[in-house]
Amino acid sequence: MIIGAIVLGCLIGVILGVNAPIISYTYSGYLAIAIIAALDSIFGGISATLKGNFDFKVFVSGFFGNAILSMLLTYLGDKLNVDIYLAAIVVFVNRMFLNLTIIRKYYIEKIWTEKKVKSTNKSKSE
Amino acid sequence: MGEKKKFKIDKSKIMVSITIFIICFIIVYVMCIQFKTVNKIDVAEIETMRENELREALADWKEQYQDVSKELEYNKTKIAEYESKIESNEEAGELLEEELENAKMLLGLTDVKGEGVIINLSSNSELEVTSQNLLDLVNELNSAGAEAISINDQRIVAMTDIVDVGNFVVINENRIASPYTIKAIGDVTYLQSALNIKKGFLDEYQTNGYTISMKSDNNISINKYDGEMTLDYVK
Repeated sequence: MIIGAIVLGCLIGVILGVNAPIISYTYSGYLAIAIIAALDSIFGGISATLKGNFDFKVFVSGFFGNAILSMLLTYLGDKLNVDIYLAAIVVFVNRMFLNLTIIRKYYIEKIWTEKKVKSTNKSKSE
Repeated sequence: MGEKKKFKIDKSKIMVSITIFIICFIIVYVMCIQFKTVNKIDVAEIETMRENELREALADWKEQYQDVSKELEYNKTKIAEYESKIESNEEAGELLEEELENAKMLLGLTDVKGEGVIINLSSNSELEVTSQNLLDLVNELNSAGAEAISINDQRIVAMTDIVDVGNFVVINENRIASPYTIKAIGDVTYLQSALNIKKGFLDEYQTNGYTISMKSDNNISINKYDGEMTLDYVK
């Protein structure tokens, strides 16, 4: 059901997004930082799910909160003439890599143990 | 109880699914918009520049514009100044021009017209007209108040030479020959009386056997001096 929701959401998003109007170049920077924040939240959510401490409320609030906060920070940086969005990108991408590492490790471990179990089972049956 | 629990779980699961659906929808939608925007902007060269670069360029141009407009203002005031000066100078300029015209007329650098006399003097078989005769005549005319004199259309000016070269008379470095037509602009009565006087120029020449005649004219035109006038040593 959740996978269905994901696929459906992506499909409708693509269909509507392709026909969406383009926005001004000035605001595309804000949109980009929001996308990075959202992707970070998603990877964080996946890794939390794998770890088993996934909290839906934390995920949703992080998803929207991080996006909005990063946009606000970018705006503030624009006003202060400081490229704050660079710091935000560094933090988000750093966290994305960390989460990706967790996900990778989880699956490597899982496949490894499965193989081990299989081989032990094989040896046991033999 | 079990049903209720199942329903509860279903409810939360539906909520989660809907939220995830919304989240997926939002992120994909926004990403599509962003891709489209970035793609479109890549087309035009100026729009690929970063905003900061554009701002810097804009600031540069603004500064240049200010400089140029300042210069323009300065030049405008200068022009106004000059214009007012020109206006005040215009009267002086007119006066100066008049004076220049007058001086040119006096020098013999302009074509002039006026009343005066025409004298015809020619050599005959017995007597040759020499430069001395012409010089005497010019002298006589000048003393009678002639304002412009020409001999065979050679204007007599301050630097004019009247000399004999071989069998010819040379005036203004131009060879002329008999008959000579001397035009003089001035007071007709003065000129005529000065030449016609008893024992005067005409009388004397006629008795000596020269072919000479004089007539007055109200509209004599004398051409300008067409040589070059240069001063190399006068300082």
